[in-house]
Amino acid sequence: MRSRIRSVLIPVGSAAAVALLWLVVTATAGQAPTAGRFPSYRAPRLAGHSDLNGVWQALVTANWNIQDHDAQPGVHPELMGAYGAGPAGQSVVEGGEIPYQPWALAKKKENFEKRMMVDVTDDKKWHDLGDPELKCYMPGVPRATYMPFPFQIVQGSGDYILIAYEFTTTTRIIRMNWKGEAPADSWMGWSRGRWDGDTLVVDVTDLREQTWFDRAGDFHSDALHVVERYTPISPYHLMYEATIEDPKVFTRPWKISFPLYRRMEDHIQLLEFKCVPFTEELLYGRLRRQPGQASQ
Amino acid sequence: MSRRFVSSVGTALVAAVVSFPALAGQARKAPAKTATWTVPHTPWGDPDLQGVWNDATSTPLSRPGGLSDKQVLTDEEAAEFQRELAYNLTRDRRDGGAQADVNRAYNEHWMDARRLTITKDHRTSLIVDPPDGRIPPLVPLSPERQQARAARADAAARFAAGLPDNHEDLSLPVRCIIRTDSPPYLPTIYNNDFQIFQSPGYVAIAPEMIHSARIIPVDGRPHIGSTLRQWLGDSRGRWDGNTLVVETSNFRTDQGVIFQDADPATFRITERFTRVDAQTIHYEFTVEDPHTWTRPWTAMIPWTRIDPAEQMYEYACHEDNYDIVHLLHGARIREKNGETVPKRIPER
Amino acid sequence: MRTRLSFVAGGIGALLALAATPVVAHHAFNAEFDANRPVKFRGTVTKMEWVNPHAWIHIAVKKPDGTMEDWMIEAGTPNTLFRRGLTKQSLQPGMEVIVDGYQSKDGALRANGRDLTLPNGQTLFLGSSGTGAPYDTPPKKKG
Repeated sequence: MRSRIRSVLIPVGSAAAVALLWLVVTATAGQAPTAGRFPSYRAPRLAGHSDLNGVWQALVTANWNIQDHDAQPGVHPELMGAYGAGPAGQSVVEGGEIPYQPWALAKKKENFEKRMMVDVTDDKKWHDLGDPELKCYMPGVPRATYMPFPFQIVQGSGDYILIAYEFTTTTRIIRMNWKGEAPADSWMGWSRGRWDGDTLVVDVTDLREQTWFDRAGDFHSDALHVVERYTPISPYHLMYEATIEDPKVFTRPWKISFPLYRRMEDHIQLLEFKCVPFTEELLYGRLRRQPGQASQ
Repeated sequence: MSRRFVSSVGTALVAAVVSFPALAGQARKAPAKTATWTVPHTPWGDPDLQGVWNDATSTPLSRPGGLSDKQVLTDEEAAEFQRELAYNLTRDRRDGGAQADVNRAYNEHWMDARRLTITKDHRTSLIVDPPDGRIPPLVPLSPERQQARAARADAAARFAAGLPDNHEDLSLPVRCIIRTDSPPYLPTIYNNDFQIFQSPGYVAIAPEMIHSARIIPVDGRPHIGSTLRQWLGDSRGRWDGNTLVVETSNFRTDQGVIFQDADPATFRITERFTRVDAQTIHYEFTVEDPHTWTRPWTAMIPWTRIDPAEQMYEYACHEDNYDIVHLLHGARIREKNGETVPKRIPER
Repeated sequence: MRTRLSFVAGGIGALLALAATPVVAHHAFNAEFDANRPVKFRGTVTKMEWVNPHAWIHIAVKKPDGTMEDWMIEAGTPNTLFRRGLTKQSLQPGMEVIVDGYQSKDGALRANGRDLTLPNGQTLFLGSSGTGAPYDTPPKKKG
């Protein structure tokens, strides 16, 4: 008898549970977060514009490779084991692939093969070899944005915005509504900003041609032109987009995009990553005086 | 101390003996009052220091000999003082022999022209305390620090002879690790520029060399943990009226990181930034270290606004630092040719 | 009565002796460049590197025997020139410059650009703002 009652109760209980669940789902439809979707949001104002102040960081693995990439052993796995291995990641390039001109793929491959090679003994070939990140050179734009390190936007009431990156204490100055041209090329480029509604748009030109987009050897020429867009999409996210144009290397402009996450730790701040000392043995070790050579 | 420091960096010096007319009295020039000027504030209420500023001057840090009681010069004396300093500092001179000539490196076009002018207040030193305008006497070094200093002096002697053993014999600026970005800020021959940015809760100071920024919270948060050590230390700011007061700690313990090679364990620095008029910030710093100086001392350097006419530019350093290779590679070649480092005579 | 004022000077020494970071002492110029090997020649610019910590001017120099040599001339920070209004357009390949300097002690074809002029005698990079008062003559001493 009891079992029959139980067996009757259970389906009724289930139906009720299902009914309740259905009500709950209906009531919260649109509030459950969906990947890639952000409800409409307007950031607080600062001096009349979106307030982008904060410490931000990308979570994509684009610094390894901005296109689709499998997990990889990395460099010197016989020494590094899993420490040096790289994770898998999906392309941040809209459409998936970088539209290289046919000749450029061979150059990219060469870059990748030589990414760990360094030889600075000949001034004329100083930049010919090696990933600039390996050598602790400033990463350029857009790579600085997706290095696995935080950066800080300091936006005030003047004509300039500072972006400070933890990687090698890089800084760049965004000059707002600026007419002046760059006097020469620079590693972090010449950045001129303006507001497009709630979006900060930064036009970057005159970048040193020696920067790479990632550790996979993706590269550009001295004709690189980057237009970045920083759009607040929630109190904790900016959407970052960068349009890349370089008629010497690519067949057309192309675009990357991914969210930037606000670092929410209590008392978060940029710490120092001055990596020059970490590279000196690699760069200059072969120029050490050897024991037995007379000096003093 | 200063002489040893100079020899330890291996510079060729041209000692100049300059005569001044008899300096009468101690007429102290009161700073001009601009009663009508008030500091503007940012929209969130902090005094506004934003802009690009330059701190170049020829006024020496320490008061020159013979002027120990004279803190401020008359207009006529100041003109003479400025002229004497400029004559000693200008790179357009070709006299003094080939050694002096090669050491001047370049001509004035590459130098910051403002560094040939003394401060507007006609002081005889940047140091304002102690009253004699001099760095206080030094405390005897512990044996460990003496040994460390001797090792560095040996390295500097190798460098001065153009025969460094390796990159570690080179100074932090040569290696492009830190230059004028480590506090306290002192004027140098060029790129004496700083850009100040502000946002609610922060003041960021970006010196030109080497492209770093000190992003200073002014919200009262504590310093980072004491085991965290940074080349530029860890800075915390607060507003004292219209003055930004900055305390910096957590410096690394590498030699030469701390100003004048003071003891990182006991070194303390406080900086004060006060906007005194539309074009001027007074930058004042106080340093103390009972293991180095017998008392704290303070200097004040005026910063002059230069934007929008002049801007700060990127100062990449390590990226194109061919000099390191020239110095090291050149040393190896010259050693093969039999060159050796002259024996260093230790300082007494 | 004369008051003797003595202080260590010489361009690099004065401020730098008392400065936090000896920026120019970074380059013990007379340790790397040979005071006994002055060079003065005229060459054609092949490349100008507007870089820090030193700009580099690459010039092709014709030797007396007619062969060409490639020299690298070390200069100062380009940032100073940018603030004077100069840009990378200001020195183009093909321009002729006269270099007055000192050769590297290791014998490399490299020199310290002590003074750089154009063939017409004008100082290279003079710029419109000039350098201010000429301080290269000793000031008159007062009795």
